[in-house]
Amino acid sequence: MKEKTLIQKFLGTWNTKTIVGVAIGAALFGVLMNYGSIRVFTNTSLTTAMIVPVIVGALFGPLPAAAAAGIGNVIADLIGGWGFWFDWSIGNAVLGLFVGALPLYGAYIEDGIFELKHMIIYAVVVIVGTALAFGLVTPFFTYLWYGGELTITLYQGVVGSVSNIIVLLVAGIPVLKVLAARNAKASNLRRE
Amino acid sequence: MSRKPVIEFKDFNFRYKTQTQATLHDISLTIYEGEKVLLLGASGCGKSTLAHCVNGLIPFSFNGEMTGSLKVAGEETRELSLFQMSGHIGTVLQDSDAQFVGLSVGEDIAYALENDNMPRSEMLPKVYNSAKIVDMHRFLEQVPYNLSGGQKQRVALAGIMHDDVKLLLFDEPLAALDPMMGNFAIELIDRIHQDYGKTILIIEHRFEDVLHRSVDRVVLMDDGRIVADTTPQELLLGSMLWEYSIREPLYISALKQAGCSLQMAKDITDVRTMDLSPYEQQVRTDFEQTAVLEPKEPGEVLIEAENVGFGYEQGRPVLSDVNFKIRRGERIAVVGKNGAGKSTIAKLLCGIIRPTEGQIRFKGEDYTALSIREIGEQLGYVMQNPNQMIVKDMISEEIGLGLSLRDRPQDEIEKSVGEVLKMCNLYEMRHWPVSALSYGQKKRVTIASILVMNPDVIILDEPTAGQDYRVYTEIMTFLEQLNAEFGKTILFITHDMHLAIEYTDRALVFSEGTCIGDDAVFKILSDEDIIQRAHLKETSVFTLAKRLGLPADEFTEHFIKAERRKRSA
Amino acid sequence: MNNGFIINLIPGETFLHKLSGTTKVRLFFVLIIYLIMSFDIRLILPVFVAGLLGLFSLKTDVAALRYIIVFVVAMNILNIVLYYLANPHLGELYFGQETLWFQFTDHYIVTYEEVWFLMSRLLKMLATFLVSLVFILSITPSEMAAGLYNCGIPYKICTVVELAFRYIPDIYRDYQNIKVSMQARGVELDSRKAGVIKRLKQTILILIPLIITSFDRVGDISNAMDLRGFGKGRKRSYYSEHEATADDQKVKIVYLLIAVFDVLYIAAKIIYKIPEVWYPW
Repeated sequence: MKEKTLIQKFLGTWNTKTIVGVAIGAALFGVLMNYGSIRVFTNTSLTTAMIVPVIVGALFGPLPAAAAAGIGNVIADLIGGWGFWFDWSIGNAVLGLFVGALPLYGAYIEDGIFELKHMIIYAVVVIVGTALAFGLVTPFFTYLWYGGELTITLYQGVVGSVSNIIVLLVAGIPVLKVLAARNAKASNLRRE
Repeated sequence: MSRKPVIEFKDFNFRYKTQTQATLHDISLTIYEGEKVLLLGASGCGKSTLAHCVNGLIPFSFNGEMTGSLKVAGEETRELSLFQMSGHIGTVLQDSDAQFVGLSVGEDIAYALENDNMPRSEMLPKVYNSAKIVDMHRFLEQVPYNLSGGQKQRVALAGIMHDDVKLLLFDEPLAALDPMMGNFAIELIDRIHQDYGKTILIIEHRFEDVLHRSVDRVVLMDDGRIVADTTPQELLLGSMLWEYSIREPLYISALKQAGCSLQMAKDITDVRTMDLSPYEQQVRTDFEQTAVLEPKEPGEVLIEAENVGFGYEQGRPVLSDVNFKIRRGERIAVVGKNGAGKSTIAKLLCGIIRPTEGQIRFKGEDYTALSIREIGEQLGYVMQNPNQMIVKDMISEEIGLGLSLRDRPQDEIEKSVGEVLKMCNLYEMRHWPVSALSYGQKKRVTIASILVMNPDVIILDEPTAGQDYRVYTEIMTFLEQLNAEFGKTILFITHDMHLAIEYTDRALVFSEGTCIGDDAVFKILSDEDIIQRAHLKETSVFTLAKRLGLPADEFTEHFIKAERRKRSA
Repeated sequence: MNNGFIINLIPGETFLHKLSGTTKVRLFFVLIIYLIMSFDIRLILPVFVAGLLGLFSLKTDVAALRYIIVFVVAMNILNIVLYYLANPHLGELYFGQETLWFQFTDHYIVTYEEVWFLMSRLLKMLATFLVSLVFILSITPSEMAAGLYNCGIPYKICTVVELAFRYIPDIYRDYQNIKVSMQARGVELDSRKAGVIKRLKQTILILIPLIITSFDRVGDISNAMDLRGFGKGRKRSYYSEHEATADDQKVKIVYLLIAVFDVLYIAAKIIYKIPEVWYPW
């Protein structure tokens, strides 16, 4: 098999399987966004939904990951009835692009490959991506579309970023480790 | 008379790209127009791969290397696109839930037409007509979540009836259906075969259930090869079914058990119509000779449900007035059609939901005060799909999880895990990754992960669903051992009547949200009224007994016990 | 059963429900653009009122929505309070003038301009919420897919929306089952008994099987779709999308007018530099 170029890996192959994968990802995102939160205070919670684009990215590539996150966010709004906030959907999609980049740096979860160096790259990408998505992109659109007080908008972006980074690192790395291990080809099995 | 071939395999071989060995070897098989053929084989025999070759998913979705020739309607398939193939072959897949992609019945039936970009005005009458064939035309607006497995399957069938497809391919149509629904499905397939003259190819390993309606030919596969291409009669007479891990129809086993020689019989494919006169005397003598075994000593009552009722909303009970007792060491089947209350009672027992009326007692004490976690130490629930339970990548970690979450000391965890590993015959594999396990082994790991908390009772949801006879026997033998050697009380939630009569002492039958039967399985299955109401079906051993004028429940008991003796020997 | 989801799967019977998916999606988009571009109470108020009328016309069970409505309103009020606390001079920033109304402290003064700005912003957000809510309550996922398709979005993307809805109840049910089975094995999700990080770590135990079983479906679903000709052509039709009725035609005039207005207003904003927020005095 010919090794895929970086661009091909980035775009993913948009066949039926990928489309279904993105849809399942978006559905899972919607479910976790509405029901899979971990409450911190009354009004603040960590959502585990952001793990989903990581997985979609690992299986299908960054662009499908972005689609799953962006559409998943819209769907979460639809089932929850919270109204549409496209500034956040765009932010989520941008973040999806980053966290779903695993195949670009050689972490092939489906083949069981997720080593220490991939973890480190993943962590860096998560921090940079989140800062960019929720610290810059979302506040930019919030400010442009809805007007608002810049400090507060940025501050909310920072809070969103921090909670996302916590979830993506504390939960994301163990999930990826287990999934990779579950996909790894077993060798040298001995009954003892 | 020259018949027109619809499918022609000639010296056909196929190897998946990811595998080193070929999956299909030297397949030569012709299916003619208007035939009804059963492709029989245990899991992993290659029958699904063969089906994928027939409907075009190979090579469209699965890459691999093909040699030899495969013609569909006279054309070599490697020159056709998947869409051209779909015009000839209509497929109903095994998983009726996954293949229902529309958000309503009408939409799902219309799916192929939508993809053809057909204007809606043309689509509507076509959808209605197709729905009418499968008797779903009154449900066009229904959403999938309200449909039974059988209804979803009929919708899938309607969805491929628009075009003039030549062959209908059914991939394990009985996998997800309750016994009565399974019969309906086989009857419907037969009707389509008769009324519309379609060529039918059924892929299954449940031989007896398919024979509910006759088939012209049976193709038996094993290890990627066709090992027999013959009539059902020939297969029943020979010993190939046993050799290739296909379960023999029960009435045939019963007749053979009694020492009858079937070789001279004219047609033994249907217990309702076959000529039994030559065997009557033999069966009767055998039945009367065997002494009835004494019943098991009843153990102490572990769980008691008294007038239990439950409803999500006031005034709309899902379950009402349920009473039963579960004693130590019992094996109980919980049966009934979907939505009858089986899973509600399981949820109640696990404490996920609590009775809105009546009381559930564990060892005489009301369980209201216990948390889900505390109940988990007395009663464990094993989900149907092992993948829904397994979280760790190493077997011993997975099994020890319940204890480490309870912050037990490490040495205690290791000791308990070690014991459970031995109990479940997994000790030798304790350092293996989960990914290296077969389905049956994974199932054992999930059971072990529950046993580690040392519950008295375990509830298993469809432990053998979708598995062939070999895996079925592996899982059930293991459970029997847990019951006999370690005294575990086991509840099986199941549609499988074979399982119920072979491996359980008692059945709780649910219908319309209440328990309508609580008795030995043999007795339950001789009650016409309960059979109807709970969507069960009479087993062929019963039919046999009735036709011979023998007491059906005792005869079944006699047969099952003889089978058990044979198994333990 | 709707599983407590806000969106309906079966179309309703009122005027808005009966419009075609295309009409609903287009109307929604022009209104969202309208609300995003305008910070002018004269423009927002009519849409807000129309949204309220729309909500009542749907004859839905408002009690079921009470929690969401209270939550969204509370969050937005909290937001403007925070804005005020961060900067009591937003009014001056936007309008270049300040007229004192009263003051709490030397720093926290309240000006008419500030109040006007914050109220405009609140109304804008609530109108956006109302329009979204009415849209969500009036459309089914299939109509939405068809509507998006007719707005020029490739059908492969529209399919994602529809398919996601199809499998949400299944995934939700799996989620519940897995969660409970893990709780029985000892996972503690009660916030009184375990800290945030501990609960987050234990949630991993639910996520892993949920992710694996969810994505296990992909192969079967895509096979079912391929076998029924998904992706055959560049165009596709929709069973759920009925032909435009007389009502659709009427609403079409409305959304076309709004669309024209949207374009002109945005152009005017750029060319004539209309102030961002309208202030009458």
